[in-house]
Amino acid sequence: MDRREFFRRAGKKYAGTKKKAAQQRFFAGLNPYSGPWTINEVTHLLKRTMFGARKADVDHFLAMSPSAAVDELLNNITVPSPPVRDYGLLEDDGIWYDDLGVAIGQTWINDPNIASAVEIRGQINSRRKDSLKKWWAGLIINQQRSIQEKMVLFWHHHFSVQESEIDNVQFLYRHHALLRSNVLGNFKTLVREVTVDPAMLVHLNGYLNTRLAPDENYARELQELFAIGKGNDSQYTENDVIAAARVLTGWRINSIPLESYLDVSAHDTGSKTFSAFYNNTTIAGSTDPYQELDALMDMIFTTTEAARFICRKLYKWFVYYDISDTTETDVIIPMAEVLRSNNFEVKPALEVLFKSDHFFELTNQACYIKNPYDMIVGTLREFNVAYPPYTDYINGYPLFYSIYQQASDMQQQLFQPPDVSGWPSYYQEPMHYELWVNSNSLPRRADFTDALVNDAVIDTRAFANYSSNPADPNQLIDDVTALLLRYPLSANSKTYVKTHFLTNNTTDDTIWTNAWNTNNNTVINTSLREMFKFLMNLPEYHLC
Amino acid sequence: MDRRSFIRNTVPVAVTMPALLNGFSFTAQGAESDLGKLFQQTLTDTDHVFVLVQLGGGNDGLNMVIPLDIYGNYYNARTNVAIPQSQVLRLDGTDKSGLHPAMTAMQNLFNDGKMNIVQSVGYDNPSFSHFRDTDIWNSGDNRRSRRERVKTGWMGRYLESEYPGYPDAFPNSEMPDPLAIQISNFPTLTVQGSIYSMGLSITNPEKIYTFANPFSDYPLNSPPANKELRFLRVVSEKTKIYSDIIRNAYQRAATLANYPNNNSLADQLKIVARLIKGGLKTRVYTVSMGGFDTHKRQVNASDTTTGFHANLLKNLSQAVSAFQDDLELMGLDDRVMGMTYSEFGRRIKSNASLGTDHGAAAPLLLFGKHAKKGILGTSPDIPADIQVVNNIPFQYDFRSVYASVLEQWFCVKQPALNTILLQNYQSLPLITGPCGVADDPDNNNNNSDNLLLKFWPNPYTVNATMQFSTTGGHTMIQQINSLGQVVKVLANGEYAAGTYNIDVYNDGLPSGAYFIRLQNKSLQKVLSVVKVN
Repeated sequence: MDRREFFRRAGKKYAGTKKKAAQQRFFAGLNPYSGPWTINEVTHLLKRTMFGARKADVDHFLAMSPSAAVDELLNNITVPSPPVRDYGLLEDDGIWYDDLGVAIGQTWINDPNIASAVEIRGQINSRRKDSLKKWWAGLIINQQRSIQEKMVLFWHHHFSVQESEIDNVQFLYRHHALLRSNVLGNFKTLVREVTVDPAMLVHLNGYLNTRLAPDENYARELQELFAIGKGNDSQYTENDVIAAARVLTGWRINSIPLESYLDVSAHDTGSKTFSAFYNNTTIAGSTDPYQELDALMDMIFTTTEAARFICRKLYKWFVYYDISDTTETDVIIPMAEVLRSNNFEVKPALEVLFKSDHFFELTNQACYIKNPYDMIVGTLREFNVAYPPYTDYINGYPLFYSIYQQASDMQQQLFQPPDVSGWPSYYQEPMHYELWVNSNSLPRRADFTDALVNDAVIDTRAFANYSSNPADPNQLIDDVTALLLRYPLSANSKTYVKTHFLTNNTTDDTIWTNAWNTNNNTVINTSLREMFKFLMNLPEYHLC
Repeated sequence: MDRRSFIRNTVPVAVTMPALLNGFSFTAQGAESDLGKLFQQTLTDTDHVFVLVQLGGGNDGLNMVIPLDIYGNYYNARTNVAIPQSQVLRLDGTDKSGLHPAMTAMQNLFNDGKMNIVQSVGYDNPSFSHFRDTDIWNSGDNRRSRRERVKTGWMGRYLESEYPGYPDAFPNSEMPDPLAIQISNFPTLTVQGSIYSMGLSITNPEKIYTFANPFSDYPLNSPPANKELRFLRVVSEKTKIYSDIIRNAYQRAATLANYPNNNSLADQLKIVARLIKGGLKTRVYTVSMGGFDTHKRQVNASDTTTGFHANLLKNLSQAVSAFQDDLELMGLDDRVMGMTYSEFGRRIKSNASLGTDHGAAAPLLLFGKHAKKGILGTSPDIPADIQVVNNIPFQYDFRSVYASVLEQWFCVKQPALNTILLQNYQSLPLITGPCGVADDPDNNNNNSDNLLLKFWPNPYTVNATMQFSTTGGHTMIQQINSLGQVVKVLANGEYAAGTYNIDVYNDGLPSGAYFIRLQNKSLQKVLSVVKVN
């Protein structure tokens, strides 16, 4: 199939199935998707599960079946090599110090930062934090054809550990690595591991939780934010919070080597009784480090609410924030059943979601407001901006840091979600995604995309060449907007774009065609740059 | 503006006027809630503007406002960074404190009666963390539990109470301009409302945003996508409107004063003055400068009146002074006031790196024609046998300063004041003017001096007696440890005027240095006591 046919097919098939999809809206549930597989569906899937949809990726998945495409996105999980030292000598009070724990280019993740002079350890720790941020941003910009990076970000949102509360970078990395190692693994296991993870023990005061004065902070968030939620059927009580806090008394942290352990002398070995919501479960006291922890997890994950809660959160992350009663019944509950019947393995549940009619329904398309990483990384990837591999600390890390900074300025800062419940765009009623966009952030986004064009970071001409016939201004606009915009431009808007940017405010298409065919660089480059700036400033561009 | 004109200007006249005139139930109009809200409205008629100057990093208040009355203890505590007594800038009407030698411009402001110093502003249980303490100052909430803390800013809550419904019904004829403008890259917690930031952040007031697509049709047959697109278009349109408003105001006015070069705070304040002169009704502006985290080389060893901190204070002083000049030349000085703040002061005892570490309370500066002249409060208590852990206890809660600003500058009344600041904070005499206080500089301090606060024996072991007097009304006595934490509240309630004794017995506190802080309405007094075994 040549390019022209490919794009034409996309338009036709899409128009032909629109009505049917709309009719199916309330009955689709999690039936396997059986509709067309065109650029429209592929970009929908890619922009939701990755950051941006590159033309090469669109072509790649278009050649597969929908089911095989989802399989590839869910199975392509890799373990990256860890972040490394990217800084040289450090100055304090006029004296230069080396980090004696690790050499430049080596990872610091197992170095407790005690080899160097005391004066410089604080700086070393914060430089390592910076390298961790660069490394993660580097992984995101270098993402493979996989859901992996968006899912790691989801778990970060879910557990929401903040660097401002965790001084030691080793704790932060270890926490991050835990999320990463379980990225499409077992949710119950992940909650269990996070519960006694050193970073979380610091973040929510678990390390201060002691039998004589139980600290309920983590026990509360475990239920409210991490495992049960506050849905209609969530009926745990204040006593359950207190009882869970007692179960978790005594967990302490050792810095060297970094580990958590149960200090039996601080642990409440009495038995703990829970409410009817938890079937009046009693957890017997034990000095075994894991016995009570496992009993607590078994109790929490026996509730039907646990599975539904995380499915709702995943749904808001990947599909849309408004979960109607119908969606709850037809999508969330069946998806939660898949999760439960697979013993809380996340992948099968996501698989049924992404392979469902529901996911591809017209009403679930183009309604997702891009988060800052969708905007920044998505744009950079879609325009094929080349980045060094994530391991390149010399050339890559500085560039990755600017991605991290841009996203932070747009209010999505890695390792620093705004509070313990993550980014409000995924939970705050009633606005949700809309919270990303306001009179402050919108200019920030426009500045970003404008600068990409003005500074020639992106090659607009290369993008125009994705079109099956860039010499035809109508075809050019159809093709580039099909890739860039999930919300289609109307015929009027397309005409406006054409006359305004390509045909010099006339209705004469040959003005553009002649410029293109004669390779008039001045006209072509100026026209395309202004047109792409305009397209990326459109409200439509913020939707995916 | 009165209530009627507010309603007239925000609600279509044909819909509401008959109901208002005839006194009918508003439900008849099918708009009960909106009209109900309007009647609860108390939009205050004021053209006042307040400028917040954030000093990021933790400003060393002890070297900004130097205690001359206890200079020996000051010098002893921080010999390697201390400002020589002879070089401290003198202030009219007081011999107790003076300014850092780099602050001649602010010395003139003070002596001209355009600046007020509030001593030892802080709060109980300081965290000593930049991040957390900045949030505390910006939110006005220092509760320990993250669950209970508000996620809004104190100015955000004020603006939301004045302009409910922002940004949906804005801009409108009553408020045609941004509510708050932050000269920064992104909005801070200070102006955060319950959902939206009540402020716009700008770095370049002349920036032009063109988001306009003349065809705002909805070709997709999908309610959710159309809902989000509609939202994006509204925000787009608002952004364009506001950026046009800001640009036009900026271009309507010209800078009249000479601002110092290479001074980022001056650059920001220059923009603020132009925007005000350009006619914006915006009530709040925020500007900032960083670099105050002077752990090392705060001063040059050869001359402690020079160095990093001296440069920072010089920039602050010159920028604010030029701003004040500009406002006067523009004829705006009756309308504008400002205030400096920093997340914390620095430790009393200096470190060996010619610097100071994170501390607690510090002085705060209010500037503007209506700043009540003088210094509120006394020099901080600096122990003769200074320890590393010793911190300056707060004389004034920072929210008392906020309450006073809202009350005396923006004319906010109770109960709105309590709602905005989350509880009742004492009012301090800081600002003169329409809803301000009388301009009698020393009255408050003299009255504080007249309060009785005694504690004997001192040092004490198990038994002690505390004696205090009150002018009547709310009276609170706190015991604060050397970290600035409130460890006991010895009295808290309504008292008749008079003198009282309180017996202290077996208070369970560890031995160490403490401060007893007496607060009686706007008056306070702090006394240091020592407990020994």
